[in-house]
Amino acid sequence: MLSRVAERLYWMARYIERTENTARLLNAYNLLMLDLPKGVGLSWSQLVDLSGGHDDFAARYRSANERNTQGFMLSDKENSSSIIASVSLARENVRTTRDIVPSEAFEGVNELLLFVRRRLASRSSRQHAYDFLSQIVQRCQGITGMLAGTMSHDAAYQFVRIGRNLERADMTTRILDVGSATLIASDAERERLEHRLWTWLLGALSAHQMYRQTVRRQVTAPVAAGFLLHDSLFPRAVLHSLGQIRACLKSLPRNTSAVRALGRVERRVRDTDIHEIFPARFHAFIDEVQVDLGGIHDSVQRTWFEPRARG
Amino acid sequence: MRIDWKQYDPGDFYDEVISSPGQPRAAARGLANYLKSLSDQQLARRQRAADLAIEEMGVTFTVYSEGENIDRAWPFDIIPRVIAIKEWQQIEAGLKQRITALNLFIEDIYNAKRIIKDKIFPEAMLAGSKNYLPQCEGVSPRFGVWAHICGSDLVRDRDGTVYVLEDNLRVPSGVSYMIENRSVAKRVFPELFRRQTILPVDDYPAALFDMLAALSPRPLDYPEIVVLTPGIYNSAYFEHAYLAQQMGAELVEGSDLVVCNDDCVYMRTIDGLQRVDVIYRRVNDEFIDPEAFREDSVLGCPGLLRAWRAGNVALANAPGCGVADDKVVYTYVPDFIRYYLDEEPILANVPSYRCEDAGARDYVLANLKDLVVKPANESGGYGMLVGPQSTAKEREKFAGLIQRRPRNYIAQPTLALSTAPTVVGRHLEPRHLDLRPFILSAQDVYVTAGGLTRVALRKGSLVVNSSQGGGSKDTWVLDGGGRR
Repeated sequence: MLSRVAERLYWMARYIERTENTARLLNAYNLLMLDLPKGVGLSWSQLVDLSGGHDDFAARYRSANERNTQGFMLSDKENSSSIIASVSLARENVRTTRDIVPSEAFEGVNELLLFVRRRLASRSSRQHAYDFLSQIVQRCQGITGMLAGTMSHDAAYQFVRIGRNLERADMTTRILDVGSATLIASDAERERLEHRLWTWLLGALSAHQMYRQTVRRQVTAPVAAGFLLHDSLFPRAVLHSLGQIRACLKSLPRNTSAVRALGRVERRVRDTDIHEIFPARFHAFIDEVQVDLGGIHDSVQRTWFEPRARG
Repeated sequence: MRIDWKQYDPGDFYDEVISSPGQPRAAARGLANYLKSLSDQQLARRQRAADLAIEEMGVTFTVYSEGENIDRAWPFDIIPRVIAIKEWQQIEAGLKQRITALNLFIEDIYNAKRIIKDKIFPEAMLAGSKNYLPQCEGVSPRFGVWAHICGSDLVRDRDGTVYVLEDNLRVPSGVSYMIENRSVAKRVFPELFRRQTILPVDDYPAALFDMLAALSPRPLDYPEIVVLTPGIYNSAYFEHAYLAQQMGAELVEGSDLVVCNDDCVYMRTIDGLQRVDVIYRRVNDEFIDPEAFREDSVLGCPGLLRAWRAGNVALANAPGCGVADDKVVYTYVPDFIRYYLDEEPILANVPSYRCEDAGARDYVLANLKDLVVKPANESGGYGMLVGPQSTAKEREKFAGLIQRRPRNYIAQPTLALSTAPTVVGRHLEPRHLDLRPFILSAQDVYVTAGGLTRVALRKGSLVVNSSQGGGSKDTWVLDGGGRR
């Protein structure tokens, strides 16, 4: 299998997953902002920080108000993690691998781009943001399902899965990072707000119901964070995603370096007791995990996308 | 209303199906009678079924417009063009003779240059040839063959003579459409295939694979063969993907390939670097190797020419073989056949005037209105003057061009391309067409049975290019001439 094809499939999956996750995030963030009282220390600008777009946003926008941040995340083509940019890049990658990807999946991605373009162009997109974003999530799920159900689970598909799960783990850690925000409030008030914030965090990852079923306890910061990091069965929990990647790597040739990079993250996540590090060292820990995830990507890239002559 | 062949009027053009009003040609009798049995409605229904099949099969060609690439369905006319096997055998022999002489010429011109020393071909021609590549001098590819895949354009004039209009030796395209046309035609007219013996065309991918495999520098049972495409934006991308798939070869882009210090070509795969033996390249010479040719090319792979010269990889077609795909060199092909093979040409060249010869030039300048003027090195109809359709201003411009660079131009009389019945709405009308057979050469020469018939869908038009309103037809070489 050609490296170029593997690389495009990997990025196609990442961008589809990024589109879905960004849509989930925006929907949840909009709700959170409605729920939290003003002046507690969460603002629209954190939404931008979450996506890793802080500097880019600061350079091109004057104020981090709702309108600008929403525009930045939805329709700003220059922001590579905006919905429109992610969908366009997913489309470009699937278009150039059309011979490999089942045609229904190609059509699904193509229709998603047309849908997003059409809705962003109409004025009503802001009023019906919830509906719009929910439909994006559904369509992305449709594409992912189509790939899982109609593509041979060969090496090509393993790269799709690696891309999807790496992107998913990455987004889960970003959303977890919101929980490290220091809430400005009195002690009694803070506890109430924190509960609300972490309930939101679970919601942003569609994890609330599964949390209830698995943990059966009141939502508190360290327990919820532990669930989103350590649970091996919940699909959007970090360790679960890493386990998926491990299964993919096993079936690929020359996987030593990537397996080693994966092992490093797995160990770090598994061996960390969230109660111990929360809240003081939580942010720093999330940072480290994100760097480690980047290490998996680098290793995948070096091994399979840019093979070089030995010696 | 059913078709009445007496009402079908090709004027004074040669028609491929009827010889005179109401009188079908022998080879086309089966087809003509069959079409007569169809009502207008049935005819239109079959055309619609064919259009649908093409769409379903995803047969497309890419048109670049308004900044976006559009995949258009391939326009296909259901009425086949029929050729009697006896006539075809003659054409096939002519094509084989021609490609053999062309390959001998290319091998000679990059090595001993005997034909120049013997004063058959003027050396000055090389200096003016854009497609002569000094980088290829001294190389002798396997079997002495340079043009492994050739697509020659044939046209039939008013009196029925078949002429070779040009030999496409660089990266000729269209063969995938020939194969797809046949599979659609079989769905549309199964009765006719049952009743008559029509030579098959779908063995082409296998023949192509065998030819390419024979070029491998390593004696392997399964040499690594790849198809090199400029990518998805190329108008023939469908064909590149199609042929790669049919041959079970990898479809690669320039960036997938790398030439290492051992002067061998490798492709980047998830298993690491993998040696490549044969490259069927659909990228033009000037773009295949930025190290040897255009530095700004991102479509090729640096070092490719080096690897080819070292004999570590086979390129089909070989770089530099475009030297024989030049309108002026074309005029010498009958001489090549006589010189290298000591035979008389079986297929005729279109009578041509070399503007370089003073006498011919004066004639051309005096008769621009009746001639077609072609530049030496362009393809796809670019930079041409079609005399009868030109304005005085255009003729004046070309007169200037010819006088300034006579080596660059040839002129030919305008040919009256033959016609064949074509579905227009719900009935049949004559439309002009040409024929592109494909010729494969390695140790043997293979010619497709028929080829790709292109048809100008606009009334009276002679332009058959798909990007300019051209369509295509299935081509039937009929064994038995319709007697069964």
